[in-house]
Amino acid sequence: MSRRRRWIINAFLGFLIAGSLYDIVFDQEHWPFSQYPMFSGIWRQTSFTWYRLVGVRDDGVEVTLDRNSYVRPFDQSRLHLGLVRLASAPDAANRLRKAVENCLQRYERQRVRGEHSGPPLHAMRLYLFEWRLDAAAQNVDAPDGRQLITEVARSEAALP
Amino acid sequence: MRRRISPFTAWNRFWFAPGPAVRLGLARAIFCGSAFFFYLPHDFTEWGTAAPVFWMPIWLFETFHIPALPSDVLAVLQAVWKASLAMCALGLWTRMSAVVAALLGTYLLGLPHNFGATQHFDTLVVFAFCILAVSRAGDARSLDSLLHPSRRRATPRFGAEYTWPIRAMWVLTALIFFGAGTSKLRHSGIEWVWSDNLQLLLMRAYYHVSDGDPLTSLGLVIAQHPLAARVFAATSLAIETLYFVALFSRRARPFIGVAGIAMLVGIRVLMGPTFEPFLICALFCVPWHRVEALIARLFISPSPISEIVEARLDPPSAPPPRPSIAFRSLL
Repeated sequence: MSRRRRWIINAFLGFLIAGSLYDIVFDQEHWPFSQYPMFSGIWRQTSFTWYRLVGVRDDGVEVTLDRNSYVRPFDQSRLHLGLVRLASAPDAANRLRKAVENCLQRYERQRVRGEHSGPPLHAMRLYLFEWRLDAAAQNVDAPDGRQLITEVARSEAALP
Repeated sequence: MRRRISPFTAWNRFWFAPGPAVRLGLARAIFCGSAFFFYLPHDFTEWGTAAPVFWMPIWLFETFHIPALPSDVLAVLQAVWKASLAMCALGLWTRMSAVVAALLGTYLLGLPHNFGATQHFDTLVVFAFCILAVSRAGDARSLDSLLHPSRRRATPRFGAEYTWPIRAMWVLTALIFFGAGTSKLRHSGIEWVWSDNLQLLLMRAYYHVSDGDPLTSLGLVIAQHPLAARVFAATSLAIETLYFVALFSRRARPFIGVAGIAMLVGIRVLMGPTFEPFLICALFCVPWHRVEALIARLFISPSPISEIVEARLDPPSAPPPRPSIAFRSLL
């Protein structure tokens, strides 16, 4: 190994290690470097709230879209966290509405392509669900409370 | 009497101790092959359909003004990326395919984190691609070495080039675990273990709140036993915070490595988050040359491959320079 090559590799290794240590020491995140903060807080609440998309079928029946396949390429964690950030931004109502409209368009497009088994939807609603944690998670399909945030009809999402 | 060595010497010995080219070549082939099959069904093109309102760029994309590309462009990029993974696994145009895999992998794997939340299951994969791009991972067990015999003859089978990439993966894995452990200690202290925290987290995991649902209902069973939950919490915190010991203790290394893998599998089974990419990276750290030698010894006896590998591992006449006692544990 030449001297020059060794210097290049040392600089590369130094960059990887220094980048990782920087984020750990200063509690920051510069993906792909990270301090890996997942689950680092203490969860004390016995209840919690979570944004959930709910589909409305043509007969008016609501279908909770809690499978990850219904919200691809998002997942239930990323979608919720994204909506939390939108909800705290200026002009939150308009942004949340656009987000739901986008989710409805994608849901229908993926459904037509056979990428999930969900029913055709007349509309999509965004709720903030609230659950009291149950030891057997038996109330997962029946939240203890829910608040309607916004609703987008199929016609409003420029869907046929 | 132990001889003191300077930090500079220790650094060089750790990263650049002579190692077999076969080990790195096999690690490349198995890691990239696994990554290829894992990511083959993953479709990144849908990110091109996400509304601009969701776009919340992370520092890498913001700093370098990297946009979310349209779906049709993403389709081309992901096809090229997956092809580069397959080529890197085969060792065909290895350097170029590894560079392409690193660049496109950083973009495609980083792209989802610009939409609402930064998740952490693929950081080590990105580092692994970058390490391969800089390394000479195509010198052995590659089509390149088969197709170019002259280049193969000119390439040493044992050298400093083949150690640092493997050890970089060890160190980065240890830093990731250490970061996760220290984050918990910094934000919550030892209460993270003694409180009801893990019980509640285990219960919450069954409400479809993650990128994957728990694979079993065992998490709910553990959540009903506070002592069991605290033992799991204490074990997780200990593995994360003390994982770096694997860098310094050769004896502890396999146990700590297996414990780390078991913890990631446990998280997937009990809580849902998908840490499979980390498991693929763990393949990078397995001494596959020894596995190959063992298989060769079992099925092809006597085997030229195993003889070569063994000769390189324990050369009878010209052993590699032995490190000092203080540093031997690193190797």
